[in-house]
Amino acid sequence: MPDVAVTGVGLCTPLGEFPHHGDRTALEHRDDLVGLPHTTAASVASIDLRPWLKRRKDRKLMARPSQLALAAAGPALREWRGSRDALGLYVGVGREPGDDGESAAALIAAHRDGRVDEVAVAGPCRDVYPPLLPLKTLPNMALAHISIHLDVRGENGAWCGGAAAGMTALRAAIWSIHEGRCDAALVVASDTWVSAGAVRDLLRASGGAPIESPGEAGVALLVESLASASARKAAVFARIGTARGGAPVNDPTRHRDRVGHCHAADAMMAVAFCIGRRAPSAWVEAREGSQPAVGVSVAVDDGHACYDSGSRGDDRGGF
Amino acid sequence: MTRRVVVTGVGMVTPLGADAEETWSNVCAGRSGVGPVTRFDASDLPVTFAAEVVDVAPHPADGGDLKLRLAATALEEALAQSGPVSGPGTGVCLGSEIGRPALDVLANAMRDNRAPSRADLERMDPAAPTRLVASMAGATGPQSTVSTACTSSSQAVGEGVLKIRRGDADAMIVGGVDVLVDAIMITGFAKLGALSERNDDPQRASRPFDSDRDGFVLGEGAGILILEDRDRALARGATILAEISGYGCSCNAYRITDSPPDGRGAHQSMQAALDDAGLEPEAIGYINAHGTSTPMNDPSEARGIHRTFASPVPVSSTKSSMGHLVAACGAVEAILCVLAIRDQRLPPTINLARPDASCDLDHVANAARDASVTHAMTNAFGFGGSNGSLVVSKHA
Repeated sequence: MPDVAVTGVGLCTPLGEFPHHGDRTALEHRDDLVGLPHTTAASVASIDLRPWLKRRKDRKLMARPSQLALAAAGPALREWRGSRDALGLYVGVGREPGDDGESAAALIAAHRDGRVDEVAVAGPCRDVYPPLLPLKTLPNMALAHISIHLDVRGENGAWCGGAAAGMTALRAAIWSIHEGRCDAALVVASDTWVSAGAVRDLLRASGGAPIESPGEAGVALLVESLASASARKAAVFARIGTARGGAPVNDPTRHRDRVGHCHAADAMMAVAFCIGRRAPSAWVEAREGSQPAVGVSVAVDDGHACYDSGSRGDDRGGF
Repeated sequence: MTRRVVVTGVGMVTPLGADAEETWSNVCAGRSGVGPVTRFDASDLPVTFAAEVVDVAPHPADGGDLKLRLAATALEEALAQSGPVSGPGTGVCLGSEIGRPALDVLANAMRDNRAPSRADLERMDPAAPTRLVASMAGATGPQSTVSTACTSSSQAVGEGVLKIRRGDADAMIVGGVDVLVDAIMITGFAKLGALSERNDDPQRASRPFDSDRDGFVLGEGAGILILEDRDRALARGATILAEISGYGCSCNAYRITDSPPDGRGAHQSMQAALDDAGLEPEAIGYINAHGTSTPMNDPSEARGIHRTFASPVPVSSTKSSMGHLVAACGAVEAILCVLAIRDQRLPPTINLARPDASCDLDHVANAARDASVTHAMTNAFGFGGSNGSLVVSKHA
């Protein structure tokens, strides 16, 4: 199967739109993350969605992973002028989005003598239950908001399940372009772990083992066939494919000391780093537990465009 | 040459039966699986009824979790029919939403400001049923979990088809599971105005395409299909139940909870599935509609059907009988299409007393209909605007 072209990149990370520049780190001490052994984390200071929202008030419907996803997807799609009906949308998401305590008041109100009391659910709980909560906590809400605000109407999917979610979405997109199921595809991975509740869950899930400093990110790539990119004279930043060939395995954790552990967005972040640092040839893979690894090849050669003016050929360390 | 993908086993647990045959028999008989909530006292809730799944025996692998129990039970039925499929050539793709620990556990944890246990966290992971099914079957091929609300398991079946066609796997265990009937979910969906509030007549509450519909009925269940490369299934002498010949999907790009009135997203999904199957619209002999019984969905879907099919096609929504199984509905309704083709019999939409003029379709109303069906289509449309359509074909 031939590689596909990456013609759009969008990142919303704790280090901004170009996290691969230099050797900065966004990890910082955080007093608010209860129980984190080393109390450092990396979070996005502000998420500007104004360029992408059709209706500003819709932002209040969006949990943070959806905001990160839309903030990354918008720039990645900026140069696309083709059909939105034939534009695919493939999204990898992480933990349950949104409900960082929003339902706590309702649950506590429903609580009587160590159990949930249905009479209380119908009374005080119902009164304080956030009516929009079900619409924020569904795992496909990032996909929904991107689709709505960026008018993406083609084949789609939302995968969840940890580290491999983003890579699964990316591979599905590559195949779909190859098979002609869509003209181009927007692939997005998004995840956030920088809240006290998320850190608490991480610690509990680790069973006492040390955890890495948590992070958050939205990462988006626009991919299309090389022929399509050539026909519309699009800037091609890299080629990606599903065949490993002889490419060395890129360490998808290399960026964690800079933007933190982003779980479902980690591997897509590694792909973006490969592109940003103009990796000549790399294989990025993610593995969830004992499941088979899911990966893609990434190649950038001298004929490819830089997706940002700060990328330089001398910044290829490790690739 | 593209590999053909066939179904060699099905299993399901629904409000109408503990297995596929019992469910199918009850659906065709026009029975309802909807009734007052029995799992807890719902008498003070805004909606006091649901389509609770039938009792199934605890499974050794379920850890006391109903969602995992349903997935395990449906899997065992499907594998008993297909024969064992396992190893690195077999993958798993299920549709699932977030799991929920027992509400009591969650409320206690929140009151005491402490985390849910590790086991609770693992159960809350949408991928938990996928992991269990892979482990039970010994499937070590590609695994993934699709979570697109009510479209989840339709897309999971579609992804399974694509994985086999692409050579990523020779067999795929696909389907979906959902368990949403609890006090908080009923309260939440009722607050959104999505549920029928026909508390005085639960069995007639789910009435897709009827003028008096007022919302969907929350249901729960699981459906599992064993998909295989056709050549491999024939080589091992498996009984082929049907072929999944087409899969298509689309996004509405409209609103989170509403479907576009012109039915464009539904049409795009159905047309993509037809194109994928290489079929003209007139080849389809039955449509198992998404048909939720909400005021908005049904006319939008009907419009999408009209845009796709120039000639009338028999249509029914089996959600009238078993409620809305959310992440499981796509797989369960695909299995019903398999059985409709096997028996050449179309299941009905019950409670269809006064068809809505905006849903002017060839309804299979209130009683099953014998018919010659070679190809059937099933639709699933989700909160958030993801649409999925599958074409199920008689194996030839």
